[in-house]
Amino acid sequence: MTVPARAGAAEAVRAAVPDPDALATRLDGADYLADQPLATAMFLAVRLPQPLLLEGEAGVGKTEAAKALAIALGTPLIRLQCWEGIDSSEALYEWNYPRQLLAIRLAEASGHDLSEHELFDREYLIPRPLLQAIEHRGELPPVLLVDELDRADDDFEAFLFELLAESSVTIPELGTIKAEAPPIVILTSNRTRDLHDALKRRCLYHWIDYPTPEREAEIVRRRVPGSSEQLALDVTHALRRLRGSDVQKLPGIAEAIDWVAALELLGADRLDAAAADRTLGSVLKYREDQELVRKEGIERLVGAGG
Amino acid sequence: MAEVASVAVALGGGTDRSIQFARAAQLVSEPEQLYWVARAVLCSSREEFEAFGRVVGKQKAESRKQEEAAAPSLVNAVERARSHGRDRREAVLAAASAQERLSEKSFDSLTEEELRALRVLMRRLQVAPPERRSRRARRGRRGERLDLRATLRRAHRTGGDPVEHYFRRRRMRRRRLVMLLDVSGSMESYSRAFLQFLESGVGGADAEAFVFATRLTRLTRALRGRDPQAAIARATEAAPDWSGGTRIAAALKEFNDSHGRRGMARGAVVVILSDGWERGDPQAVGREMERLARLAHRIVWVNPRAAAEAFAPLASGMAAAAPHVDALLSGHSLVALDDVVEAIGERRAR
Repeated sequence: MTVPARAGAAEAVRAAVPDPDALATRLDGADYLADQPLATAMFLAVRLPQPLLLEGEAGVGKTEAAKALAIALGTPLIRLQCWEGIDSSEALYEWNYPRQLLAIRLAEASGHDLSEHELFDREYLIPRPLLQAIEHRGELPPVLLVDELDRADDDFEAFLFELLAESSVTIPELGTIKAEAPPIVILTSNRTRDLHDALKRRCLYHWIDYPTPEREAEIVRRRVPGSSEQLALDVTHALRRLRGSDVQKLPGIAEAIDWVAALELLGADRLDAAAADRTLGSVLKYREDQELVRKEGIERLVGAGG
Repeated sequence: MAEVASVAVALGGGTDRSIQFARAAQLVSEPEQLYWVARAVLCSSREEFEAFGRVVGKQKAESRKQEEAAAPSLVNAVERARSHGRDRREAVLAAASAQERLSEKSFDSLTEEELRALRVLMRRLQVAPPERRSRRARRGRRGERLDLRATLRRAHRTGGDPVEHYFRRRRMRRRRLVMLLDVSGSMESYSRAFLQFLESGVGGADAEAFVFATRLTRLTRALRGRDPQAAIARATEAAPDWSGGTRIAAALKEFNDSHGRRGMARGAVVVILSDGWERGDPQAVGREMERLARLAHRIVWVNPRAAAEAFAPLASGMAAAAPHVDALLSGHSLVALDDVVEAIGERRAR
């Protein structure tokens, strides 16, 4: 079977990431530690014309994965943040109306007759992320991150799906713009609602779990230079206990980093009850959550002997 | 490889997934990587990871429960019932006199006559889910955002002066209403009244009605038919007569699998009318409710037992469902149903 893995820039992409391990190494170089399943999924997203849907609890590093992928490949990251009510003028393109108005005025003042054709010229077009991704010209395709797709309306989802399948945009006034190489697409979702089956079927899928305390400590130490291994491990073990408890807002990896940074600043080299109590605000951002932990005892959170 | 392709089919992926997998598999060489490749391609939710591990891990796959043998189909009963007729004028007359007395009376103590009267009163209930903004916009002389494009095109005509202003306004679309009524034995005394509520509900443009006991039956069409009253009579007769609980989880699962996921529940207001008495595993109720909650805009649970002062959602299924419910109401009388109608129309999302 000789199905073209990826149209456009196929050779360059293949040379950049020959196999999943090579991608993992590159991601490591971008300070992102991906385990084998995730590295394999991202590898497939790079090499195949299929988007990768990343799901997982808030703060496990879904967005970071896309950012790291762009850095690892040395290609731009184009990010589209979704929200309820997002539409094509915010996601695809919009005409620069104030400039067009100005052009009309100028033409009027100079006695020049401005045709509609001139007015709807490329220079008055504001490309939004989706158009930017399709228009991108470079050795490698860009990484298009569609963040928190579950927050957009489902009609937007359908619109996006169609656009990605075509890899081209038709602007009535200008014509059709086709991607030279379809962008590498990473979709993230926090699962506040289910995405359409049709979209899921087309996507590769990976669920990012919380990392093991050991791996999380490694991640944290990358981000907080000079932090001690022991402190990082103490913190990530405490976080695992927290994530298994009844707190409303589960702390993510960002909180682990914040917490270690705060503890470092206070000169702590281990996480003991006193230190944890002073810095609890770096991890738990709800008063109820803090109360819950204090009621159950900070000692339990810190664990016997870490 | 053929093995994995058959896994793809087992996971409900179909041939397109198998093709995707075949293509992806060419990209890697090591067997261990092949496992992750297969998982990324063939699964599309975290839950499927588990199933995938089980199947590909060559452990004995759990045999799926046999589909239940065709239970007495409510739909057939309903269709047959259409041919029956009943005098409606009688009901209207009854309603006029009994209206006041009726409105506070609990549904489980209604007489035959009162039930008929109730129907007329229920018609007055304006069951309307809230509106949602559509992605599409409408152009007009008023609106929220200036439509510069249209304005400019016009301005061109008036020598570049934007004399006439055009605006864009998001179109509003009414959310769908989905009603699921428990017609099992424990709900018997309420189900006729609630069926009439369903009837007035499906009068709306975009509404669906289902009843469930052992299995789920779509009733929308029957209730919209020429003689819904007869349909209701038949539907109630056909309801199984166990005095035990219902299989709520199974019914919800069936709804999620065959209707909800395909879009019926997406962004909809879902009303479940049940006492939450689950005969099966209450954990499963929680699981299915969570799935439904992710799809639906709001879930309103109507439990006539909630009218009792000492009520706490303790029935196993009710307790499991409660965290996923936006509003829990009794709806046990006409007055109480007003609250339900209000809850359906409430704009606030979770």
